[in-house]
Amino acid sequence: MQSRPLMTLRLSTAPTQDFGAGPHGTRVTFPITGGSFTGDRLRGKVLPGGDDWTMKRADGVLELDLRVTLETDDGALIHMTFEGIRDDGAPAAPYFRTLPRFETAAAKYAFLNRLLAVGVGEIRTDGPVHVIEEIL
Amino acid sequence: MEFRSLMTLQVTVGGVQRIGAVPHGTRATAPITSGHFEGPRLRGKVLPGGGDWTLLRGDGVLELDLRVTLETDDGALIHMASFGLRHGPPDVIAALARGETVDPGAYYFRTTPRFETAHPKYAFLNRLVAVSTGDRRPEGPIYTIDEVL
Repeated sequence: MQSRPLMTLRLSTAPTQDFGAGPHGTRVTFPITGGSFTGDRLRGKVLPGGDDWTMKRADGVLELDLRVTLETDDGALIHMTFEGIRDDGAPAAPYFRTLPRFETAAAKYAFLNRLLAVGVGEIRTDGPVHVIEEIL
Repeated sequence: MEFRSLMTLQVTVGGVQRIGAVPHGTRATAPITSGHFEGPRLRGKVLPGGGDWTLLRGDGVLELDLRVTLETDDGALIHMASFGLRHGPPDVIAALARGETVDPGAYYFRTTPRFETAHPKYAFLNRLVAVSTGDRRPEGPIYTIDEVL
């Protein structure tokens, strides 16, 4: 499989909302308050209002379900979602991988509508950082 | 980004059900009648009954939404679901529509499979993210699936 860098996405999150145990597991949402993204082909900021609706499964894996709005430095809005997995107990090292998808009406960024991507996530003290690559 | 080989999956497609123009595009459903998969860690067959619920968008991109049940050679059932995208130059897509074999490098056909199983031997599949490259053959697609490391 071949991939190439798309962007590095940094997110700021508000205190989590802990729902407790539901039918599919333990739900915790991470409200997104802002952030930034930078790459060769696009850069800008994350608008407040997104969220990651996570679900801790019985096998210990955290399922991710994020929606955010990106605003490029030239004013385009990009709807971004990802599903993913965070397995802090993975044998070798924490496994934090996502499958971002994008929608935009801006012609300059329409290439985002036509690609699949993979992200490698990392939790830092100031919030999660996702290194996202396009699947070629 | 690092990847490692998970399996090659080949499915056979039955008669396509052309639903037609719907609010989000043109919908067609391709029933999966059979297939097989093979990789270093698992191999077996595809059970009949799955399908690929495709949607051709206004921008010419075909969205794929595949669900199949895999049965390993030692009897475990694995639920597989994948989202995907397929698009390319008009002449290439037209050749695919005519049932011709086309160089898979001539178009973009990628999917992101997810797996669920209750079998302990294959529980590693519950805990990984994968990507695949597709090759649309006349009898059905072949997916080369890699685990994202």
